[in-house]
Amino acid sequence: MNLSSLQPTRDRLTRTAGLFLSLGLFFWIAWPGAASAPDEGGELPDREKFFREKVLPVFQEHCLRCHGEQLMMKELDLSNLSSVLKGSESGPVVVPGRVSESKLYQLIESGSMPPDLDGGLPEAQRATIKAWIESGLASGLEESAASQALNQHDVIPILLRHCTTCHGLRRQGNDLDLRSRASMVQGGKSGPALIPGKPDQSLMVEMIRSGKMPPKKRLFEVGVTPVSDSDLEKLRQWILQGAPEEDIRPDVAGTEPDPLVSDRDRRFWAFQPPRQVAPPAVEHGNQVVNPIDAFVLRKLEDRGLSLSAEADRLTLIRRASLDLTGLPPTPPEVRRFLEDREPRAYQRLIDRLLESGRYGERWGRYWLDVAGYSDHEGGKVNANGPGRKHAWRYRDYVIRSLNADKPYDRFLMEQIAGDELVDYETTPVITGEMVDNLIATGFLRMGPDSTGYELSFVEDRFDVIADEIEILGTGIMGMTLQCARCHSHKFDPIPQRDYFRLADLLKGALDEFDWLAGTPISEVVKFEQRVLPYVPPMTNPMRLLEQEKERKARNEVLEEQVKELQQALEERGRDLRDRVLEERLDQIAPALAQDLRLLLKTPEADRNSGQKSLAKEYMQLLTVTANELKERDAVYRREAGKLERKIAWLQHRQEAEPRIRALWDRGAPSPTYLLRRGDYLSPGRLVGPGVPSVLTDGRSPFRVEPPWPGSQKTGRRLALAKWLVDRNHPLTARVMVNRIWKHHFGRGIVETLGNFGKSGARPTHPELLDWLAVEFMNRSWSMKAIHRLMMTSRTYRQSSRVGPEQERLDPENRFLSRWPLKRMDGEALRDSLLRVSGRLDETPYGPPDPVFVRADGLSTAYEGERGWRRSIYLRQLRMNSPTTLDLFDYPTMNPNCTERAQSTVAPQALHLLNDATIRRLAADLARRVEGEAGDSLQAQVERLYWIVLSRPPTAEEQRLSLQSFRSAWKELGNGSRERQRVLAKLAHTLYNSAAFVYID
Amino acid sequence: MTRRHFFGRVSDGIYGVALTHLLTGDLFGVSGLTGGSESPAPGRGGIYDVAPRKPHFEAKAKSVILLFMNGGPSPMDLLDPKPMLDKHHGGTWVSEAMPHIARRVDDIAVIRSMHTTSPAHPAALYKFQGGRMLPGIPTLGAWVVYGLGTENRNLPAFVVLDDPQGLPINGIANWQSGFLPPIYQGTRLRSVGDPLLNLRPEVAEPTALVKMGTRLRQQLDRIHRRDRPGLPELDARIASYELAARLQLEATDALDLSRESPRTLEMYGVGRKPAVVGKTHVNPGPDNYGRRCIMARRLVERGVRYVQVCVNSQIWDSHSHLEADLRSCCDRTDQPVAALLADLKERGLLDSTLVIWAGEFGRHPIAQIMPKQGVAGRDHNPRGFSLWMAGGGVKGGTVYGATDEFGYRAVENPVSIEDLHATILHLLGLHHEELFFERSGLREKITFNFEPRVVREILA
Repeated sequence: MNLSSLQPTRDRLTRTAGLFLSLGLFFWIAWPGAASAPDEGGELPDREKFFREKVLPVFQEHCLRCHGEQLMMKELDLSNLSSVLKGSESGPVVVPGRVSESKLYQLIESGSMPPDLDGGLPEAQRATIKAWIESGLASGLEESAASQALNQHDVIPILLRHCTTCHGLRRQGNDLDLRSRASMVQGGKSGPALIPGKPDQSLMVEMIRSGKMPPKKRLFEVGVTPVSDSDLEKLRQWILQGAPEEDIRPDVAGTEPDPLVSDRDRRFWAFQPPRQVAPPAVEHGNQVVNPIDAFVLRKLEDRGLSLSAEADRLTLIRRASLDLTGLPPTPPEVRRFLEDREPRAYQRLIDRLLESGRYGERWGRYWLDVAGYSDHEGGKVNANGPGRKHAWRYRDYVIRSLNADKPYDRFLMEQIAGDELVDYETTPVITGEMVDNLIATGFLRMGPDSTGYELSFVEDRFDVIADEIEILGTGIMGMTLQCARCHSHKFDPIPQRDYFRLADLLKGALDEFDWLAGTPISEVVKFEQRVLPYVPPMTNPMRLLEQEKERKARNEVLEEQVKELQQALEERGRDLRDRVLEERLDQIAPALAQDLRLLLKTPEADRNSGQKSLAKEYMQLLTVTANELKERDAVYRREAGKLERKIAWLQHRQEAEPRIRALWDRGAPSPTYLLRRGDYLSPGRLVGPGVPSVLTDGRSPFRVEPPWPGSQKTGRRLALAKWLVDRNHPLTARVMVNRIWKHHFGRGIVETLGNFGKSGARPTHPELLDWLAVEFMNRSWSMKAIHRLMMTSRTYRQSSRVGPEQERLDPENRFLSRWPLKRMDGEALRDSLLRVSGRLDETPYGPPDPVFVRADGLSTAYEGERGWRRSIYLRQLRMNSPTTLDLFDYPTMNPNCTERAQSTVAPQALHLLNDATIRRLAADLARRVEGEAGDSLQAQVERLYWIVLSRPPTAEEQRLSLQSFRSAWKELGNGSRERQRVLAKLAHTLYNSAAFVYID
Repeated sequence: MTRRHFFGRVSDGIYGVALTHLLTGDLFGVSGLTGGSESPAPGRGGIYDVAPRKPHFEAKAKSVILLFMNGGPSPMDLLDPKPMLDKHHGGTWVSEAMPHIARRVDDIAVIRSMHTTSPAHPAALYKFQGGRMLPGIPTLGAWVVYGLGTENRNLPAFVVLDDPQGLPINGIANWQSGFLPPIYQGTRLRSVGDPLLNLRPEVAEPTALVKMGTRLRQQLDRIHRRDRPGLPELDARIASYELAARLQLEATDALDLSRESPRTLEMYGVGRKPAVVGKTHVNPGPDNYGRRCIMARRLVERGVRYVQVCVNSQIWDSHSHLEADLRSCCDRTDQPVAALLADLKERGLLDSTLVIWAGEFGRHPIAQIMPKQGVAGRDHNPRGFSLWMAGGGVKGGTVYGATDEFGYRAVENPVSIEDLHATILHLLGLHHEELFFERSGLREKITFNFEPRVVREILA
């Protein structure tokens, strides 16, 4: 547990509470005199009377249609005084006594409200509102808290925040459960907690007021804060009023049209189901291989263009291989393709690439971007946070699913609701499907999440939930739902209510008031683990026990080796450390230095008390860190680096206990309240599970049912998943085909991959997008079918050359008048460099390889006996990714990445030119070429081009390469060792050439 | 003329004068090239660069040097005397632990009423650098170079001179670009050895090989480019290799102190041994910090927009041994910092260079005493602390705001971190509301949705 991380939260809390109180006090003092109300003697308090008689008629005439009890647009209800005082989703709308700070009046004065009234609110009515606010709402405000009618939903959020962790669902400390009025009245061992009408005799009030509850000493153990005075007062008032309960149903979609989202809102292109579109007729019919070409051609022809010439086979195989596998084709693969003279040779090539296991590694990485995959927890203090030991199973699940061409609808169902698909809890036998389903749920556990390893408060947990909603929104739905966390979406018709309906959908598993932590952080409340045991399908229990024993034994052996190496490292630095210390001692007062020298010579056990305190006082001076030693001595740095790598490698090979990082419904979600301004201290109306209304017809209720009869699970995420993969869903299929399109054609049909809303881009080819989406669903959501369709199109096979016509009429290639030249992304570059150098270890799956950060900032992966593994199998960090990846725009997961940026900067050049590993790879390649091509220089150069660029050199390239080679070799003296060096330099030059880094 | 056409034209004579002169910038973007270096906001048409851009309004400050003092320097022991010592001294009071800076008070404006949002180092650092207590958000330096670009495109726009003894707390997050494109993140230049990662090969190779590699690569890339007209990103890549070559010279030259006069070196404390011993950290004396201050000046001279000078770990975090540690921190930094101000002024650079001296928060007036060890220090205090700024349009000799009589809380004219950010941007001619980045439909700003106030009272 890291205490320092608690501080900000606590500080934020007290500040907010402090501000709240001081404002309240301010009003008390400022407007007591205004109590002389306009009309006295009525039964109603003055301010109620004034409101009803003078103000309400104005509101009724102009405002309540939208801001009434029914509609509550922007969460604002102006139909009664107490709801006016609650304000809107963005906070208070009237500040008594201050028109200039009252949003309600500001909007009236500026003419923005009411929206449909020419000339704004009539002057007389405007004056009434102004007078009302200026008089401090006709005063009497101090009574308002007291006489405001409260119900259980005003106090339940308070109890959830402060009490129910120990007196609620999971634990009934002292036999007390504070989740409902009935259970409060029933009380616990010490008697009833609540006596209706008698707050000061109610035990719960007494316990809170006396400061006994929540117990101060244990606040940090469970992430609970003390109850604020205003909350306590609210609780008192509710009890005083008799602890009334009202039958308020959570706000969910019904059969009536949704008042907050209009039919007009729904008419936006992205919110309507994809249409079945017929491919258009085109002039250049001979260029149409499949309907994609017809759609693309139509747009081109509108601009006086047509498709470019077809690229040659060498270009096509390199393009297709890098696209599908992230690796360049090997010379034999190229030869095979060139020699295949069958008309379907190209189709066969695509099939072969799709069958390669490398396909899932390439496209799996794109999905991991969407999911926000990381092997680190992340955190508020340290961006990386501790490692996630079991996340890799999810990564492997993604790769395997793609390789198996798991239908996308199924893929989503498993990831969003894998725990609700098949009953794994009461089954006699665990099947492979069940295991896969549970691993898949790791999807919603990938965002940055420090709550699993350190103490968290409610808002920290809500941040985790918010990240998952963002991932669902931008990654799967193409919606910026996260904007609606604090207020209704500024551009899209997503009321804030919809955001919290979604939060409620996740609540069976992600409940900020019933949170799972990674480690038990308290003796008092044992949080449950957020992992499930990994059971290999169909394994018998005896075998499991044996496996566990074997695992431990293997780890012990490794542990021994680690200890030995650590000792060796210590030994290696001893002399250097002594020298550094001696230099430091030389700089201080001689007498003190003498004492310290003596101290250092004395073994710890033999030190006298004076020496002990001296040691403490000068601990810093006497401590020489490993980094300081490395800075001092390059030889030590190298050797220590090697030892450290060995140690890390051995530690890495220790096997973690078999677990699944999973998410599962726990059957008893707490109620969800909309949070005004996203502030968990300002709960608004009670909402139930639901999906964004604008994506539905607005009339069919969203149905949630238990996943199977007798299930304890809510079935909420299952309902979400089913809704997402419904054929009429406007976005799911579109967003995914658009994403696939982007990775093949360089730009999405909708350029903003994660935002199909109003602030996003419009599709360049809307009909094509719809056609692809429908086709995707018709072909059983097969991603490979879509790859095949796109890659066999004539559009994909175009040359990337830009002619003058294309440049003039389609300068940005928005209409695909040519194939877009692409630069390799980080992982394609790194993996390709390793592959062509013969140093790519293609072992798939399993725990990630470690990554090391050198003192100078260079970050690299561990080199195993067979070389380095593919980038997707390296430890995925949130910061300090391997330099080769990082420099070439490898994404940062915060929380995910829907679209990578691409930069061209000088440090990339410096790295490819000067990095020692990349130079070594070039030397490896030179050796390989010498072995494969024989002694002829010409053959060697040719071979080099074949391996690196998957093609022979042109005559010009050949001539220049040979020339350069010969003159450099001559300068170096024509020796045989020199020859290899020059060949390596040639390889290195190709690694740095545009022809390698760019894909035609 | 659009940028695209411009590229189209110069691409005919790839190694022409125009190219070397103009194509020096790094390019960043997905595709589509429109707009030029005069464009009011970077990122038009998906292209991001560090070409110099006009500020929103005229301003004096062209560059920033942030002297970041990790750990929370104790205000009442350094800049904010209690009780009311400044009256006795007259003028701005600066502790005797900083005798050199004390002599430069006419250049500096002290804000004594800073407050921040967290008493924890990491969170307060995120807040100071990025405006919110979050990892993964852009830092001030990234925002500034995003807004203004840089004058010298042979050097990184945002340079970090970190301490050879180690990174500060939060490490590289102190100069990250967060969700801004990565070209805006700070680049570490090292004061010892090679200034930049991979600036040179780890093992040198014979000249014949170096020359062959460079020449052949240029030839091959020229062919590649020639065969692919209308693709400006290929020019950008060629330019990036040329910039890399110039960086090898220029970065080395910018950090090469061998041509500095002995007087200058001495003024900064270069070569001077430590005068006092630190207790909770090692005091290396002013030598390296002084070198880095000279480097900061040399970088600003060369047109670098934003330089951040770091200390290792958090040396100002004086929980115990307050006096010894403060004296040691001051011994290390006071002379170099004062020399930097004097030097900038002498060279006429102080007017256009905003120098900021600050930590992430302050310290409590009430001592933290450990009776057993017999030591005393002060704990973190976010509610009131001091920092100072100089040059770049700041009114020297100013003291702004005040804490209560114990120095616990900012009571007079409190200044929040967002106020500070808005003020710094204002000094650079940027309006905090106008400097935004569109992200997922939101206009992200360093001042988030706060409503900051520019502290006009310290402007010249």
